[in-house]
Amino acid sequence: MQVLASALSIMAPLLLAAIGGLFTQLSGMTNIALEGMLMTGAFSTMVFAGATGSNLIGVILGIVVTSSLSLLLALLTAKMKANPFMAGLAANLLASGLCLVISGRIYGTEGVVTFQNLAPLKRAMGQTVFLPVALLAALISILVIRRTPFGIHLRACGTNPEAVTSLGMNVSFYRFCSLIICGALCSIAGSAIMLNLGSYVPNASAGKGWIALVIVFLGNIRPLGIVAAAFIFALADSFSNFAQGFWNIPADFILAIPYLFTFVAMIIYSIIRKKNKSFR
Amino acid sequence: MNQKARNLTGYLWILLIAVALVLILCLLLSSTPLKTMSLFFFGPLRNVYNFGNMLNYTTVMIFGGLAVSIAMKGGSYNLGGEGQIYLGGFIATLTALALGGTALFSSKAGGAAGAIISILAGMLASGILSGFSGWCRMRLNTSEMITSFLLSSAVVMVVNYMITGPFMDTTSNLLTTSKIPESMWLARILPPSNLSTSIVIALIMVACISFWLRGTRSGYAMRMTGMSSRFAVYCGLNTKLHTWLPMFFSGALYGLGGALSVFGTYHASLRDFQSGLGWNGFAVALIARFEPRAVIPAALLFAWIESGSRIAMQGSDVTSKIAAIVQASIFFLASCSIFQEERHIRQGGLKCKC
Repeated sequence: MQVLASALSIMAPLLLAAIGGLFTQLSGMTNIALEGMLMTGAFSTMVFAGATGSNLIGVILGIVVTSSLSLLLALLTAKMKANPFMAGLAANLLASGLCLVISGRIYGTEGVVTFQNLAPLKRAMGQTVFLPVALLAALISILVIRRTPFGIHLRACGTNPEAVTSLGMNVSFYRFCSLIICGALCSIAGSAIMLNLGSYVPNASAGKGWIALVIVFLGNIRPLGIVAAAFIFALADSFSNFAQGFWNIPADFILAIPYLFTFVAMIIYSIIRKKNKSFR
Repeated sequence: MNQKARNLTGYLWILLIAVALVLILCLLLSSTPLKTMSLFFFGPLRNVYNFGNMLNYTTVMIFGGLAVSIAMKGGSYNLGGEGQIYLGGFIATLTALALGGTALFSSKAGGAAGAIISILAGMLASGILSGFSGWCRMRLNTSEMITSFLLSSAVVMVVNYMITGPFMDTTSNLLTTSKIPESMWLARILPPSNLSTSIVIALIMVACISFWLRGTRSGYAMRMTGMSSRFAVYCGLNTKLHTWLPMFFSGALYGLGGALSVFGTYHASLRDFQSGLGWNGFAVALIARFEPRAVIPAALLFAWIESGSRIAMQGSDVTSKIAAIVQASIFFLASCSIFQEERHIRQGGLKCKC
């Protein structure tokens, strides 16, 4: 059905960003800046894709830019001992401000930017290449986290950083690595959103970063759970988009639905966690 | 160096970095950097109109800073400022419009009474919005940071719909509700700017809250629950109450700021009048290190940056987003503890959770 197809295409960027969030969460940090990373990734991908005419180069350079910026953020936060949560929030605000300013500088507009020389994405059954990429990322993350030494050390950093340090390994190194990975994945997610639309629409990725964060928690910080949670969210989002046509729900309400849904999901998660705790 | 001097140098560093950022941005983005810079820094002081508007923005910032500070003193983070300001202003507008129908409220005194009732209604609404997050934290231990943000983002969309849908004023060119009755408008004290008596209310609020937190038992109870809830339990304080109460007050203060903007400046609920006010209020509270009295200079700084940026945009060729970049950077810097406790800890002071 149409709802299912649209759900799958909404799921791809959410899944990618959530897997990125998974890596940072496993290393012990809750990454608030997912939203900012998505926006930077989307914007830088479009800038480079528009400049070179190739989608692939755009995505690759977007990854480079976003990863370096997230690394920079991490270094600044560590060096200046900023509150990580505030730093993430500031990064989100900064990212949106910078994207608008740079967009105004390069393209002369702070609104939608269309590129003439971009090839549209190839689609199969209405899905772009990003859906298999997202699922592949989830698969690879399962392998990396469970089976590789890097993954095990990463999880150890999140569970007990003192133990990791006592073994002579550098916790910060793993955290920085996870941030680079997260930046890369969020950049791909952002490009998924923008390339799907074919032009740079400033607020297309608004709210998706927060939803990705909650998907991480709802999926119980495991890759398979995250895939399931991402699918449920995407289904709800796509359903509400269709409902807008069917039942004449105003557009503003549709925009509010991701936030409300995330809120309800968090409440349910807390209730479940509380119930599980009381059985200890 | 004692604590006060240390705090002061921290503030000065932040101020210095803010000024430097503005200079750099003007140099990078403007083809006439000197003119832009002079508009940015001195523009708000040039005439009564600019100065009054800057003070008007300060008022809303003061309320935002107070709101976040009170939440923080109670141990909670209130990230829902945008939605709470918007909802407070909107509900106050609706109440005023509903009351304005009756003749009782068209006289001077009646208008004042009507204004007070409407503003209280707005405060109640946003207090409930924020208090709900606090309640969820108390009952279910959900992070009130995230829930307050999510709820407020959703509320912004819903109020947007209300303003441009059922409650829109079709006779106006703007996306806004009808104007509230004139008897309820706050007096302008510095025409032709928008500055109204709301700044007096803001300053009174700072004094009241500062006194309440330091000098009363209930204020102490809230601060203690925020600093160490275990200790508060041993003291016999009602920690459950004081988990959601700070959030409720916080929302009410934000709502007060929103309602006063409506009654003093816009006289109606314009779509997106709250844009950026919530986040800037939070940054103001961060800079002020959550102390009510320090909120006033911090609010002035932010208002200066905002007004300067707008004036520079109007008079020169830069975008008003300069303000957003500077504000986000200040937000980041103000959260850095090297400007605060780090040196204090190194010198052997006690670590205080803020």
